Amino acid sequence: MNEQSSFEEHGRRLFEASVENIDMRVRSRLTQARHAALDVAAGPRLRFLRLPVWSSAAGVTAAGVLAFALWVGGPMGQPHHAQPVADTQAGLEDLELVASSDENNAAPMEMLQNDIDFYEWAADKTASGDSGSIG
Amino acid sequence: MAGFATLSQAWMAWDGPAPAPKDAALDHTKELEKFLSEVERRAFRIAQVSLRDEDDALDVVQDAMLKLARNYSAKPSAEWRPLFYRILENGIRDLQRRRAVRKRLMAWMPGPKEDPDEEAVDPLENVAAGGSDAPGLLMQEQAMRQLETSLRALPARQREAFMLRNFEGLDVAQTAKAMGCSEGSVKTHYSRAVHTLREQLGEVW
Repeated sequence: MNEQSSFEEHGRRLFEASVENIDMRVRSRLTQARHAALDVAAGPRLRFLRLPVWSSAAGVTAAGVLAFALWVGGPMGQPHHAQPVADTQAGLEDLELVASSDENNAAPMEMLQNDIDFYEWAADKTASGDSGSIG
Repeated sequence: MAGFATLSQAWMAWDGPAPAPKDAALDHTKELEKFLSEVERRAFRIAQVSLRDEDDALDVVQDAMLKLARNYSAKPSAEWRPLFYRILENGIRDLQRRRAVRKRLMAWMPGPKEDPDEEAVDPLENVAAGGSDAPGLLMQEQAMRQLETSLRALPARQREAFMLRNFEGLDVAQTAKAMGCSEGSVKTHYSRAVHTLREQLGEVW
């Protein structure tokens, strides 16, 4: 009986040692798997808490898309006016400057959203070739 | 105002934080995290012994974690361990069945026959270079490999009983729950497993 106990104990020790020697790649993947499982267990409550993080990013992206549509293509539903390539290129560069802020500094996009009427009017003016009266 | 008076009296009588539902949920999540972090590496090694493949072992452990979290996380934490190992053993068995089917199909296909179970293992590959106890570690590695080889030769139920009882330290009742059989069957499987392993490894160890 003692021999059996020592046999079992030896096997247990070997197993414990092999657990300790698990490499970092596997440990890392196990940690990721654990976090994924905890995310599932947390359910909609914690996922809801994360909503503002991605929704703010989505908001900024949506504002960017809207600004791009206004700047380059004009208002939706109206025929697209052909523009000189140089004008379009300049518009894109300006848009890049405005959109270059990251998610944590969304002030330019907010400004764009606040003055959306002005930019719409400016886009119309530009499309109709009456650029002289703008700023 | 009477309402405020009642409320302030209630605050005076209050001498500890009431368990708000949100806090209780967070405690439960922390408890689950603690449980998973305790079992994840051991579960991985148990799966690896049975499957002989690191990625397959990681997959079944991840799957077991997700299933436990999705379906049983609301159960009392004392029930998690046998449930988790039951899910894990089912996952291992499913994968082994799929492999067996694939192997039978591959036998009908032309081309070179590959058996991933037959890949050569370098006993030195996991020994740290220049370690002060390298010979001891090497012997330990070799002994574990011999044990793994003998375990794989056992019938599946005996192997499960041995790993759950000996490696994971489940008692007979927990092992029976994890294996989905009676406690008597667990004792029989375990006893036979130990007998066979001792016969095979007794001289080597």
